[in-house]
Order: sequence, then C-alpha cells, then structure tokens
Amino acid sequence: MSARQMKLGLFLWATGHHIAAWRHPDAHVTAGIDIEHYIKLTRTAEAAKFDMIFCEDAAGLREANINIARQTSRSIGFEPISLLSVLAAQTERIGLVSTASTSYNEPYGLARAFASLDNLSGGRAGWNLVTSASPIEAANFGSTGLRPHADRYERAREFATVITSLWHRKAAGHDGQSFSVRDPLDIPPSPQGAPVMVQAGASDDGKDLAARTADVVFSAAQTLEEAKAFYDDLKGRLAAYGRQPDDVKIMPGVAPTVAATKAEAQAKYDALQELIPDDVGVALLSSYLSISDLWRYPIDGPLPELPESEGMKSRQALVIEQARRDGLSIRDLARYFAGARGHWRVVGTADQIADELQARFEGGAADGFNVMPSWFPGELDAFATMVVPELQRRGLFRKDYEGRTLREHLGLKRPV
Amino acid sequence: MGSTMYLAVSLNIASAAGQAGLTFAEIAGFVRKVEAAGIDMVVISDSMDERSSSPFEATTLLAALATVTERIGLVASASTLAHQPYNLARRFASLDIISHGRIGWNATMRQNPREAANFSRPEGIADDDFRRRAEEFIGIVQGLWRGWDADALLFDKAAGRFHDPEKMHLLDHKGEFFSVRGPLNVARSPQDMPVLVMSGLAAADLDFGARVADVILVKGKSPTDAKAACDDLKRRVSPAGRTPDAVKVLMTVAATPELATNRLEDWFSAESCDGLNIALPADLSAFDDFTDRLLPALQRRGLVRSIHHGTTLREHLGLGAGGGQ
Ligand SMILES: Cc1cc2nc3c(=O)[nH]c(=O)nc-3n(C[C@H](O)[C@H](O)[C@H](O)COP(=O)(O)O)c2cc1C
Repeated sequence: MSARQMKLGLFLWATGHHIAAWRHPDAHVTAGIDIEHYIKLTRTAEAAKFDMIFCEDAAGLREANINIARQTSRSIGFEPISLLSVLAAQTERIGLVSTASTSYNEPYGLARAFASLDNLSGGRAGWNLVTSASPIEAANFGSTGLRPHADRYERAREFATVITSLWHRKAAGHDGQSFSVRDPLDIPPSPQGAPVMVQAGASDDGKDLAARTADVVFSAAQTLEEAKAFYDDLKGRLAAYGRQPDDVKIMPGVAPTVAATKAEAQAKYDALQELIPDDVGVALLSSYLSISDLWRYPIDGPLPELPESEGMKSRQALVIEQARRDGLSIRDLARYFAGARGHWRVVGTADQIADELQARFEGGAADGFNVMPSWFPGELDAFATMVVPELQRRGLFRKDYEGRTLREHLGLKRPV
Repeated sequence: MGSTMYLAVSLNIASAAGQAGLTFAEIAGFVRKVEAAGIDMVVISDSMDERSSSPFEATTLLAALATVTERIGLVASASTLAHQPYNLARRFASLDIISHGRIGWNATMRQNPREAANFSRPEGIADDDFRRRAEEFIGIVQGLWRGWDADALLFDKAAGRFHDPEKMHLLDHKGEFFSVRGPLNVARSPQDMPVLVMSGLAAADLDFGARVADVILVKGKSPTDAKAACDDLKRRVSPAGRTPDAVKVLMTVAATPELATNRLEDWFSAESCDGLNIALPADLSAFDDFTDRLLPALQRRGLVRSIHHGTTLREHLGLGAGGGQ
C-alpha cells in the first residue's frame, strides 16, 4: 500500500483562467467554439494521470456591462453537460465533472443527465452543485431577480436530498417545499453506482451542505493558514453527519506558472499581467465583491467598506481579507485577482511548485489540488511535463491509474 | 423520384423493463452503418414512459454520437417540461457547434403522462396550458439561437476586442410562462439554428408547426392517409409566410417485422410526402434487419440515395439557412 497521494483535478476554462489569457500570443483564441481544443486538453490531463477535469458553468453572460464584456472572452462557450458527453466518448480513464445549478434545474432532469453521462463514461462522472449567485443568470429564469442566499441554499439542500436518493435508488416519491418527484430514476446505475458529488460553497450554509453530501470540495484560499482553517472546519463538520474525515476530499485551487527558472516564470506571469485593461480588472473584482460601482472609487486608493454580499459570501470575505492584510490598492488587488479569481497563485520552477504543493498537502491543508492553468494549452503543457513528473518522483502522485471509475481514482466508497 | 425522398431512422432507446439496454458501442455502430448508407438523420427519442428504461438521456447520447460520426444528422427529443428554455437552447446550440452543424431538436407537443409528476407539478398541466407553454418555450429557444450574428466574434487579441457588441442581441422576452433576458452564452451555431423537428402534433398544433418547424414527423396508417396529412400541412405553410418547401414532412412508419421491402416501396412510390421516418425498437435484431436487409433492398431499387448532399443537416434536407440576421 503506497503512502497517501494527492488528487489532481484540471479546471478547464476556454482560453485559460487568467482574465487576459485569450490575448496571450499563443492562446487558442477560438477555444469557445472549438471542441477539438477541449478533447486535446483532456487527453493531456489523462496522459498526466489527473483524477478529473472540471468544468465551471453559468447560465448567462459573465459581465453585464457590454463595454467590459466585449474585452473578455467569457461571453461564449460550450454548455458543459454536452461538452463532457463528448469527452466521455473521447477518453478512457479520467473523471469528468461539471457544474450545474440547483437554482435553475429540476432534480429529476439533472439526475437523468448525470446518470447518462456516468453510463456513457463507464463511471467517471461527477456533479459540482452550485447555488447560482449572479443576477445576470437570474434574469434568464424569470422576472423576480436573484433570490436571497439563504433561500438559494434551502432549495439546494432539498435538491441534493432528492438527487442523491434518485441516484442511490432510495425509495422514490418526494413531496417537498421546492420539488416533487413521483417515480424512481429511469436510468440504470453505472459501474461507480452514482456520480461523484462535488461542492465549492464556502459560506456557513455551503460548508454545512458539503459536509452532509459532498464527496469532493473545491475551495479558494491564499495562505496555508487559510487553507488549513477551511480544511479543519469542513472535516470537523463531518462527524455530525456520521461521516469519516476521509469520506470527503478537499481540493483547493492553485494557479501555477512554471518555467525552467524562477525569473523566467515571473516574466511569463508579468507578460500576461500587462494584457489586462484596468476596467476589465476592476469589473472582475467588482463581480466577486458583489458591488456594481467599484469604478467610482480612486483606483490607487484602498478598497472601501462593503456591505455583506448576497452573492458569493466566502469569496467576498477572502478578497477583503487579502486587501487589508497586504495593504493593496484597488488597482493592485484587481490585477492580482485577475490572475486566478482569488485562488492561490504560485510562480516558480517545477521543484519550487512541487515544494509548495507538498507543504500544503502534508501540512493538513489539502487532499489534492484543482489546477488552474493561466492560459491554454501552454501553461497546462508546462504543468503536465514539468510539475507532474516531479510530484511522481517524490511519490506524491500516481504514475498510472489503478482503477477505472472516478470514485476509484479518488479512493471514495461506492454508495450503498 | 427516389432521389428526392428524405430518409430518417428513429430509435427508441428505452428498453422495456427487464430487458438489457443497448450499449453506447451498439448504438454508435448502428448509427455509423446508416450514416455510410446515406440516411439523412437519426432521431433519438427519449421517452419517460412507464416502466421503460435506457442507460442514456437523449441529448447526452447525441453529444457522444456527434464525435464518432461525420455526416449524418442527429436529432434528439427533449421535453419542454423537463428543461428551462435557456438551458435547452444552450445545450442544442452547443451540440450544433460540436457536430459542425448536424443537430436537430425534436420538440414534441404531446405531454408525457408521467413527466409532470416528476417535475414538481403533481397536479399535472392542462392540455391547453401545456400547448401555450410549449409554443412560448419554442419561440424563446429559436429567439435565443438568433442572439449572436454569424460574424459577431472578432478574436482580435491585439486590440482586445473579443466580440462586436452591436452583433449581440438581447432577447428580453416577457411572456405568460417565461421571462428570459438573453443573450445565449453560446456562439451562433453552424446551421444558424439547429433544425427544429416537431412531432406529435394535434389538430390544434398544425398551424403553429407550419409556422416554426423545419421538419414535421407525421404518423399515417396508410400511404393515402399520409398524403392527406401532408397536403393539409403544406396548405398551412404558405399563409405562415413560408414556401411549402421550407417544411419537410416525413411520415413515420414503424419497422415491424411485417414491414417488408415491398410495403416500404408502396410508401415511397405513393409520393405522399417528403420522405419517411422509420421507427425502430431498441433491439439489436431490428438494427441488423434494417441495415442488412431493408436498406440494401431500398438502395438496389434506387429509392435511397447513398451519399449526403452536404455537410450540415439543413443541407441534407434541402432546407434554407436558419433565418439569421
Ligand atoms: C473552484 C470553484 C469553482 C466554482 N465554480 C462555480 C461555477 O462553475 N458556477 C457557479 O455558479 N459557482 C461556482 N463556484 C461558486 C460556489 O460553488 C458557490 O456557489 C458560491 O461560492 C456561493 O456559495 P457560498 O456563498 O456558499 O460561497 C465555484 C467556487 C469554487 C471555489
């Protein structure tokens, strides 16, 4: 039995995670309409033995301000369940996880789609449960606007209960506050029994729901201390639901920039930073802070006092904490944030990056990482060919798949 | 005359209780065979009928099929009760890009008796409400598909202009059942709009179908029956401001063991409609029977052409562009 090894997910995002990725000279600028691009990236991740790929999602534009939206590449892309169904047919081992909202779906329909994806892939599917926080999405699903955070989570809790009982073939029939379902699921289970359940909410409600239902938790954290605090908090909540610490894998995001020397890596990162228009950076920051008029404050001044968000509570807190800790101006913060939306950024050689990952993995802050390359395909290729082999040399990551299903890769129990 | 007939095959992938479902490899193998034979499109139905079951939901199956085929049109049923219009419009627009323009949506106007109860409507939906809701739903989906002009994406790295905002259009729909702002966050699809296939039309749906559908599937008991239904539909197309050719009417016949080649030929030669949709049950012997016996016989008689007309489903079917801006 080998020592504990880290789990790796590849977080896909069209041209890359850096807000200006699409402007990088070698970035694949037509990614959002090119299925071959995604097939290639996923095969790269599979060859590097990643546990899974992960697709984010929003049912609407990312940016309400047309003048900002036109300067980013995020207004168009593939609907992720379609995308992952393609990847199921085009790959063999890697796990396939997609986001879908509890706010704008019905559990029976989503249960069918993910069960189907799980069958198509031979047991490699996972679902990232989210409660959609954007008013832009809300406007595509009715005229009443974004519902309050607590209401969205109440619906999400019921959704999770219904969908897991459908997948786990528990007694059918549900008549609740938001949903009613009469029949058992009409799609038979895959070799992994049920899709893997992933969550990323970091508010109190979010962490509680994750402790009750998630197999994998994604998180955003800057420092080792923050990551460790989140890790201990979430694992600490499991006992209340009769679960063991190992039943949930916690995978913080990491945005690596790797090169042969530290200086070269820093130069690569700086070159991308040069491509961010100020108004785009400030707009991205505003959306995560759930404030619409950040542009009214002096860009070289401090972040103003902000009311608590009804959107993404945890990310707002994380950004504010970082601004105060490092004494950052709005401009600095926006530029920093544009690299990975508040996720942990590491710049250096393969050895240095492996050191940092190892420190968090062995320091009780992570069971693995959700890797967020700043641009595709270059920064993924660099991670796969430089950092992954170094992790393997250190015995921290698998050299080959041992199992077939995503649950097997992650060392998760099969649902009973 | 055979060369002007269109031919579709529809698969009900839901097997009866107790029977083993088809595997993806079996379905893919069959679709590749009928593709090689020049069939215009395969329609995957997605029944949630009582006590049936399939390993696959139709739109996810379609995505997987899209990457293992090259020419054949791929159509999936998806219910207006099981989806929100914004989500469904995204899914089909994505599939159309993935398949390079070979996708259709089979929008049934008939309620599945079990569906409402599984989608938080235990009291069911009155037929009339269902019809108005479905019409509004389809209108929204088509409107969202037109949200981006074909030349909206600029990809201009140097100037930092990704798209031209003038060529992106809000939908701003506020209706009886839905309110949808738009635009879609999926680009304009290669066919401008995926092909809209309609089936299960009651008398009250015919005018609507004639106004919006690209393909209408009609069940007929006999070739004479079929011709009457087809003529009726074609009469309704012109008042809707379209040419009769803009809507292809395909008669649905079930490929039962009794439906021998000679009888199919009757259907073809009656020139009762634009073509046929042959419905196959979810079992391998029916697939084999179709590809090994029926299809070669029809080809020998020149009733089925053996090449595709173009690369997109609209081209196969001789349909115009999807009506872009
Ligand atoms: C790695 C990661 C990925 C996420 N992906 C999505 C996404 O694709 N779509 C989405 O709506 N929210 C996404 N979120 C946001 C959260 O899942 C969550 O819904 C949001 O933070 C609001 O919940 P909270 O207030 O509990 O944090 C993501 C968060 C993280 C950390």
